[in-house]
Amino acid sequence: MANTQSMERSGGLGGFPSIKTILALITGVMMLVDLYFIFMVAPTDSVLGHVQRVFYFHVPIAIVSFLAFFVVFISSLGYLIKRTPKWDAVAHASAEVGVVFVTLALLTGIIWARPVWNTWWTWEPRLTTTMILWLIYVAYLMVRSYAPTQSKGAIYAAVVGIIGFVDVPIVYYSVVWWRSIHPSPVVGPFAQADALDGTMALVLLFSLITFLFFFTYMVAERMELRNTEEALGRIRFTLRRRGR
Amino acid sequence: MLDFILLSSHLPSSNLPYLFAAFAVSWVVLFGYLFYVNRRQHEMKKEIARLQNVLDQTPEEE
Repeated sequence: MANTQSMERSGGLGGFPSIKTILALITGVMMLVDLYFIFMVAPTDSVLGHVQRVFYFHVPIAIVSFLAFFVVFISSLGYLIKRTPKWDAVAHASAEVGVVFVTLALLTGIIWARPVWNTWWTWEPRLTTTMILWLIYVAYLMVRSYAPTQSKGAIYAAVVGIIGFVDVPIVYYSVVWWRSIHPSPVVGPFAQADALDGTMALVLLFSLITFLFFFTYMVAERMELRNTEEALGRIRFTLRRRGR
Repeated sequence: MLDFILLSSHLPSSNLPYLFAAFAVSWVVLFGYLFYVNRRQHEMKKEIARLQNVLDQTPEEE
């Protein structure tokens, strides 16, 4: 009963909506405003036309995927040092959501590449290293699923999460270190001061904040699912002990 | 005087299907994942409620 009570607690106190619900509402409103900004406020690119507006999804999604794997990195370190389940739960949730985001970064990039580069895919540095990043974190999730025990899966996954994070700066710097067809960074240490029109930069920033909220909400949902999985595991264990 | 022929496939406006596809794929993936998580959550909560009923009817071991 304690487990279901803890789940009910997460539903809010005294009729007030839970933090998760508030987060969902804020994210929903921000996303609507973001779409308005993208389609009604952001100027049309003079060379690429309207298809350039994919930029306002593609870039924030990619940045959020980097952040997700940074969270996995820190949480994995925390778990290996402290061995408390909370660190592992955050790492797991962030990795799964991170895989969703890097998948989207690849898909939106592929779709955008077709009209701009006249190809769906090319084995150039940015795309290749991003594909490697996707494979690393899919492997992270598979290691969890196929480990002999849950605790071993958490340890193995933490190691993958720490070592795999090496690819994140490689993805970012790939367009600087190697000859690449992919555009240079527009945010971060290698972005030029005049890389973006002022309005475009503001819309990009708002889109990034929107996706940060979306990421936080998705991680909160995934962590609640994990809590429910653990509660189910506990109740099944109790029933097995009682011979049912 | 040279006459230039502008190929319609090179007009920026001809790329609108790709713009639509990119946003559509984004929504499908994001909301598809949220739907998947919520559905699993719902199924597990039903299972927990069912097992809790069984547990309440099962005497504790002495």
